Amino acid sequence: MASLLWRDTSKNISAIMERLPVNYALDFDVPKDIEDGYITINRKNFTYHVVISGVMPYSPETEAIAKKKSGLKSIITIEKVEKIEPLSVMEFRAGGKTLETIANFEVGERQVTEIREKYGENLSEDVQNVLDDAKAMGFTIPESVAEEIARRRQEWGEKTYRNILKRIGEEIGNELIDPYEAVGIIAAQSIGEPGTQMTMRTFHFAGVREMNVTLGLPRLIEIVDARRIPSTPSMTIYLKPEYETNDEVVMDVVKRLENTSISDVADIITDIGELTVTVRPDPRKTKDRLIEMEDIMNAINRIKGITVMEDSGQIIIKPQQESFKKLYLLQEQIKGLTIKGINGIKRAIARVEGKEHRWVIYTQGSNLKEVLEVDEVDPTRTYTNDIVEIANVLGIEAARNAILNEALRTLQEQGLNVDVRHLMLVADMMTFSGSVRAVGRTGISGRKSSVLARAAFEITTKHLLRAGVMGEVDKLAGVAENIIVGQPITLGTGAVDIIYKGYPKTKK
Amino acid sequence: MMGISKRISSIKFALLSPDEIRKLSQVKVITADTYDDDGYPIEHGLMDLHMGVIEPGLRCATCGGKVDECPGHFGHIELAMPVVHVGFVKEIKMFLDATCRSCGRIKLTDDEIRTYLPEIQKMDFETGDPEDIEILTKKYVDLASQRMVCPHCGAQQSKIILDKPTTFREEGTNVKITPKEIRERLERIPDDDLIFFGFNPKTARPEWMVLTVLPVPPINVRPSITLETGERSEDDLTHKLVDIIRISQRLRESRDNGSPQLIIEDLWDLLQFHVTTYFDNQTPGIPPARHRSGRALKTLVQRLKGKEGRFRSNLSGKRVNFSSRTVISPEPYLSVNEVGVPERAARELTVPVIVNQFNIDDMRELIKRGRSPRDQFGRYVTGVNYVIRPDGRRIKITDQNAAENADRIDIGWTVERQLMEGDIVLFNRQPSLHRMSMMGHTVRILPGQTFRFNLAVCTPYNADFDGDEMNLHVIQKEEARAEARIIMKVQEQIMSPRFGGPIIGGIHDHVTALFLLTHNNPRYTHEEMVHIMAYLEPDILPEAKIENGVKYYYGRDIFSTILPKGLNVRFRSKLCSGSSEKCEFENDPSDTYVEIVDGKMIHGTIDEAAISPFSGAIIDKIFRKFGSQEAARFIDRMTRLAVGFITYRGFSTGISDYDIPESAVARIEELVAQAEDRINKLIETFRLGELQPAPGRSVEDTLEMEILSEAGVVRDESGKIASSYLGLKVPSVIMARSGARATMLNISEVAGIVGQQSVRGGRLNRGYYNRTLPHFKRGDIGADARGFVRSSYMTGLSPTEYFFHSIGGREGLVDTAVRTSRSGYMQRRLINAFEDLKVDDTREVKDTVGSLIQIKYGEDGIDPTRSARGRAVDMNYILFDEEKR
Repeated sequence: MASLLWRDTSKNISAIMERLPVNYALDFDVPKDIEDGYITINRKNFTYHVVISGVMPYSPETEAIAKKKSGLKSIITIEKVEKIEPLSVMEFRAGGKTLETIANFEVGERQVTEIREKYGENLSEDVQNVLDDAKAMGFTIPESVAEEIARRRQEWGEKTYRNILKRIGEEIGNELIDPYEAVGIIAAQSIGEPGTQMTMRTFHFAGVREMNVTLGLPRLIEIVDARRIPSTPSMTIYLKPEYETNDEVVMDVVKRLENTSISDVADIITDIGELTVTVRPDPRKTKDRLIEMEDIMNAINRIKGITVMEDSGQIIIKPQQESFKKLYLLQEQIKGLTIKGINGIKRAIARVEGKEHRWVIYTQGSNLKEVLEVDEVDPTRTYTNDIVEIANVLGIEAARNAILNEALRTLQEQGLNVDVRHLMLVADMMTFSGSVRAVGRTGISGRKSSVLARAAFEITTKHLLRAGVMGEVDKLAGVAENIIVGQPITLGTGAVDIIYKGYPKTKK
Repeated sequence: MMGISKRISSIKFALLSPDEIRKLSQVKVITADTYDDDGYPIEHGLMDLHMGVIEPGLRCATCGGKVDECPGHFGHIELAMPVVHVGFVKEIKMFLDATCRSCGRIKLTDDEIRTYLPEIQKMDFETGDPEDIEILTKKYVDLASQRMVCPHCGAQQSKIILDKPTTFREEGTNVKITPKEIRERLERIPDDDLIFFGFNPKTARPEWMVLTVLPVPPINVRPSITLETGERSEDDLTHKLVDIIRISQRLRESRDNGSPQLIIEDLWDLLQFHVTTYFDNQTPGIPPARHRSGRALKTLVQRLKGKEGRFRSNLSGKRVNFSSRTVISPEPYLSVNEVGVPERAARELTVPVIVNQFNIDDMRELIKRGRSPRDQFGRYVTGVNYVIRPDGRRIKITDQNAAENADRIDIGWTVERQLMEGDIVLFNRQPSLHRMSMMGHTVRILPGQTFRFNLAVCTPYNADFDGDEMNLHVIQKEEARAEARIIMKVQEQIMSPRFGGPIIGGIHDHVTALFLLTHNNPRYTHEEMVHIMAYLEPDILPEAKIENGVKYYYGRDIFSTILPKGLNVRFRSKLCSGSSEKCEFENDPSDTYVEIVDGKMIHGTIDEAAISPFSGAIIDKIFRKFGSQEAARFIDRMTRLAVGFITYRGFSTGISDYDIPESAVARIEELVAQAEDRINKLIETFRLGELQPAPGRSVEDTLEMEILSEAGVVRDESGKIASSYLGLKVPSVIMARSGARATMLNISEVAGIVGQQSVRGGRLNRGYYNRTLPHFKRGDIGADARGFVRSSYMTGLSPTEYFFHSIGGREGLVDTAVRTSRSGYMQRRLINAFEDLKVDDTREVKDTVGSLIQIKYGEDGIDPTRSARGRAVDMNYILFDEEKR
């Protein structure tokens, strides 16, 4: 994983500098032979690049102890921290355009930041030139615009080119956001207001018409709630290019993905008189799920302490110990027995997409970690709509992008036009602390620094009482608390002071 | 006095110690009585004059202030026996669990204290995240609670059981730990150990959570009210305090004259109950204290909590003066920046003007007019309602004293004058979902009783005129007026921050009118042109073209007169999207792309895409190039032109719009019959068990899906047939195609067929056993029996169809009702979570603590409001504009 979680929560940079040199734990698979390099410390508010040196030699004993104590993946001991430099979230994210680059982002890979300064990855020299020219004139332009300009530069001639570039510069200059703008409120309103226009209908067909996905307002609420499990988890699985068009491989993968339990394909009958459990596979269902009798037998044979008999397409199972309790337990065990597939993937359906006859697999249920481990699966494109799962498997930056994409998709699907910047702010706010936090009293609002703001939102008394015993101090920095005490808020025109020195008093 | 305003920089929270409560107190309350027989407050009673006054005429015994001057003062009650504070039961449990019962130390070893101390000391109790601190303290408390032997004194410990809500006992015994004992235990805990419990010893000692003294809130907090009958009714809090004092006294007496332990304990429990409900009358586990009438009392927690509580209802939002509310109605001849205010409201609403050397003569003139002046034509003229002397005394102006007061005013006085044309006011419609729900308008005083405004402003307020009411607020400070003019005025809000396009623009008839005026560029004679443009007050007339010796004016040229010079735009019109013909910029037979060069419209049709909210490209580009003022002027003139034109031309729609030839009706009927055949065939195959299920679906689901898609296909096909007979001459089609109102789908429902009705995305299937209505056979799953409406709105629906249609319609209504509450709550949470974010001067986004949320706002630092629909650069527009310049 790319991000290192340094389990510490203090705030001051210099304080970190002082305390860093002692042993500390990193939740990270660190190459064992590492001597010095860069590590990234993902802290509550900032991401730092830390230059370290003198890594203690790896020793299995110390690690084993430390691991047990801390519950972390791996421990390295660092003797000295040379320097801490802030590393922007942006730069960090730049490397993560695709899942692959995130996956490959490793210790000491500093180039990532430099690549960004060179405007993205594979830009032609012409485009680079346009970007440089713009920069020289004091502004930055989007790459797509630069590409178009570069393409038509010849046709325009140098003078027009300069004019157009100048005009773009003017436009961008006029479009910049005003300092102290209350961007949070604007974002919240821009997302909340169209909520009234969205449909409530929970189910809708998306991608595959056989598959249901929650959309509309319920989905949007689900996203901002940061639910542990979405109401309809689903994945879109792409295979590596070499397998994508191969029907057989695809079908094989589908078969391996889909989690099938015995009760999905067979009737289970318990005979109390004979003390047996009979499994009677339903040929239609087995065919549908590509299950052979053999598969069922293999699964059943994994259970210990039973005798199995096969009889004209039926399987009769008898517990070796004769008791009703055992029989009941056996029945339950058989019902939940997985024949094959990945946990959580309730159903997988492959569909041909595009002209090139490429297969895409859609699933009901999600298990990103295990699906990515399947060899044929292309880890860079495979996607799940379970945001918390993305955070756990791919890290917080991936989760941030997932929130952004999911929210944007939900709104667009409803034909609502909302600027991405608002959604970005929501995604960033939900993830900047390093974990996905919900919008609401359990998440962002519950962790506001102001007692009054928390009390005014929900669970009023709890916050007031706690503030008393802790001796909390409300600094009155936010909006809600200043409204409560009745003074101007610190946003917009309230964020600046103007002092007018009048004319000296003249005598009448 | 005006000066640099004071600012509260911080508020510190703490627990009140018994000593502090006594120090704070002005009077020790000892009797439960309130007033004597003469209605005079009893001394040392709950209404003692030391705690403030609520009756006019009396003076506070503490500060000497009169009713509005005295802020009220606390008193106190000495409780006979200590009782637990309900709010802190959890904390008390934590202390009892984790500290030694004999020595009072936290049950952590010295080693543990040494390791954990730095960890917890690092935490910032005052401004840090309480959740983080709680995680740490929970760890210590859990660890300490498990120890059954004290590491400091070696005393054996026992587990503490909490019998909710307020009783504690040691495990295995049935004897409870009395609050007195609890207090003694808590007293033993040394200050140094408190930090491990998340307590700040400077602000809170644990024993303070067991009350020995109870503060009595000022009378202002719990005023008694006198009913018409002269009967006094006390506040809920006073009632509760009466109970507490009574029981406390009885308990004291019983204890002092040595009553049996049982009676004392009962009284003690009763005192605990009363104190508990005094704080929170909804404590789980105990019955709420009730009023004589059976209504539960509203005690302290209930006063603060929830939507109607102090925080949300009185502190986060307040009632205001200088506001008014009435029904709204349209007035197309007002500018978007204006609001029509009825005279009656204007006479009530006032603006304070401070008299100075420059305006004193004008103010005298105003005051002389009195309260309801009119000019020689009987029109409204501003008067004055009050003048305020520098010492704050208000003098009401009447027609009798007007002249006298006009002479009395001097520099430094304040004159509260009535509303005047040109004043800026805030205008608002609830629900206020976005910032455009409250905008600044300039006042126009109009006869009548309603607020009026230009129709272009309906969209941001989401208003219509079916009885909607709106609020108007008069701004009282110069600073605020300036901000309203610069930031909140309607013209400054034309662009929506949600998507970077206009949210104010022409609607309904405006779109229809300009569509008719420009589509295929009709021509008008001079007289017609004058009628059309009569309301415009044009500075230039359109260019005339002479054909056969007659002067003609073309629609586009008329429209061009309202476009600013220098405007260059090119875009596809709405008409283009529904057009069967191609609309390319170069070759455009259906007249669907719009080209405007240097403020002259040379091609195309004006419709939704040009002037309407959300899409209006012309408004967008005018705003961008010429600014808000010019954009507002365009909208004003555009709406006037549209209204002028459509009143001249006339426009009407009716049932005859949907007349289609017999042959077409027959074709639609045939289509429906065919579809029905297909559906029946599907059902047949299903019955035979031959229907192939779609992957992952049951056969039944598959059948339903297939039938639904068949039904969808007929509706679309019949719609196509119907609309092929309805051309751009038909008013309904004009409205739909121009984007003024309705869609072609609606038209096909009227002229073609209505189609399948559905509930939750499926066909109707509920009702009687195995059938929807008794009109059908059991088990009939054919089209008609499951909500397929084969009629059109024009032919009318059969009774069963009508019923099915109502079912579908109701789902929509329920949906809307559920949605508004759900999305309202989501928005409240969003606002609450994001309200503190701001961009700083380096375009970083930060919250109040200074946490960095974004390094550059939106990754490019561009304001969505000013962006070209989200993009930083609109290349097509820039290139076209540069080319035509």
